[in-house]
Amino acid sequence: MSDFKIDLPSAKFKNKATLTSIVILLVTFICSYIKFNPLVIFTEFHFLQEFFVEMFPPNYGLFYENEGVGQSILQTLSMAFLGTIFGGFIGFILSFFAANNIFQIPFLRNFSKSFLAMIRVIPSLVVILIFVIAVGPGSFAGVLTLIITTIGVFGKLFTEVLENAEEAPSESIYCAGASHLQVIRYSIIPQVLPAFISNLLYVFDLNMRAAIGLGIFGGGGIGYKLYMAMRVLHYQDATALITMIVFMLLIVENTSNFLRGKLLGEKL
Amino acid sequence: MIEVINISKTLPNGKKLLDNISFKVKKGEFVGILGASGAGKTLTLRSLNGLLKPDSGSVIFKNELGEKVNICTLSNKKLRKVRQKIGVIFQGYHLVQRLSVLENVMIGRLGSITTFRSIFYGFTDAEAHEAMGALEKVNMEHLANNKVSSLSGGEKQRVGIARAIFQKPNLLLADEPISNLDPKNAKLIMKLIKPLSEEIPVIGVFHQPEMTAKYCTRVIAIKEGKIIYDGKPNLSEDQLSEIYGEELSTLALQAK
Ligand SMILES: Nc1ncnc2c1ncn2[C@@H]1O[C@H](COP(=O)(O)OP(=O)(O)O)[C@@H](O)[C@H]1O
Ligand SMILES: [Mg+2]
Repeated sequence: MSDFKIDLPSAKFKNKATLTSIVILLVTFICSYIKFNPLVIFTEFHFLQEFFVEMFPPNYGLFYENEGVGQSILQTLSMAFLGTIFGGFIGFILSFFAANNIFQIPFLRNFSKSFLAMIRVIPSLVVILIFVIAVGPGSFAGVLTLIITTIGVFGKLFTEVLENAEEAPSESIYCAGASHLQVIRYSIIPQVLPAFISNLLYVFDLNMRAAIGLGIFGGGGIGYKLYMAMRVLHYQDATALITMIVFMLLIVENTSNFLRGKLLGEKL
Repeated sequence: MIEVINISKTLPNGKKLLDNISFKVKKGEFVGILGASGAGKTLTLRSLNGLLKPDSGSVIFKNELGEKVNICTLSNKKLRKVRQKIGVIFQGYHLVQRLSVLENVMIGRLGSITTFRSIFYGFTDAEAHEAMGALEKVNMEHLANNKVSSLSGGEKQRVGIARAIFQKPNLLLADEPISNLDPKNAKLIMKLIKPLSEEIPVIGVFHQPEMTAKYCTRVIAIKEGKIIYDGKPNLSEDQLSEIYGEELSTLALQAK
């Protein structure tokens, strides 16, 4: 007999059984706590069925009858674009002040890092509520919200990119007597440029989704159109808008992925 | 000319990394620094352009105005001014992969152009033509527009040399410039460095005693942070085993 202890299969089974029971109990308790009954989907199925019937067929005629639809799509695209460009630019600048290997004043660097972290934790729906009250509903409030969230997301992503830049090429330029700014311009920026563009495309993709969501909360664009269609019970219009939105998002996502793939493939 | 006077560097735990290193190198000299791994060769070289501050001692070098300065005591702007006049090439090339060959050469001049111009305008056409001249000297002009990431090791090191030439230094430092290269490319690089030593002092760290014997005018050997030999480049078998100790056998294997 060796003294070596093994995990006995029976003990393992007991552990798994206990854990599973705890999870089931917890889920049941929480469901009852917020009165969430998944079975309703089946017992009240006719409800959903009626709703679906009302949603079909989608009223694609909407796109011909109502020229506001095309405009609202353009508006959403523009919101996402501006949010990405402005937020990306500000996030880009801030990330240099937050990167350990670039900004050498620890106190201010931690301040930049905390600032970026702080704007990242505020949900965008809270931000839009504030802006809708401050500047009124519409795409202006939407773009401002997207700029704020983009700064947070992009600032974090890009700080990490900067911190991963190779040290050696920078050192060799310092050896030729270059200044910090020259090293940033001729070593850091060329190194991080592909990741910069790739992140911008990724954030644009995120911002498209966000722009639609924000529309519902008063941010304008096609999200707002969808919300209005639902509110006045024009369900067939809503279905047409939803298919349109899905189609648009697929195009944006695939284009973004394609361009990013090309960009990173070229990196070697 | 560069003069190193009694530089020492000690770790907080008392370990001596550099121990009273002194030597003087003049124009016309091509000094090869030899020594086992961890002997202190890189640290010595890094003290010469202010990347490392020794605890004591000085490194005397003539700045762009012809004044003698102690590199160990310089900082910021003054250090940058001196570095303009010191070319460095590295074992790992240390080029900016995403920039073109030509841009990597022009980077060597950054120290002598204003930050404002280099950021908002860039290099001038005249500088580009001059950099092409430097690339011609290393037979790389046909690859000027290629990204550095697409080059072989030997080609990258030639870009490193072209950058140093374009920088117009008064001193050239090289830290194991041929250690990552095959024998053919290693020879090629040595042949490119050799003529530079007729214009300016050249100090290089090498791991190949047969190369320093062939190309250098003088060899300095470092062991445990101390200079244990300074003289003619031809070393006897006994001297080599003194320098390298156990490492000698692996070295002999590499040479074959
Ligand atoms: N920043 C550092 N901190 C502590 N020890 C160091 C540092 N840099 C180098 N060393 C040590 O100093 C010794 C000499 O290093 P180096 O000059 O790089 O050797 P080599 O002769 O191989 O170029 C080595 O033992 C190395 O571990
Ligand atoms: Mg070394």
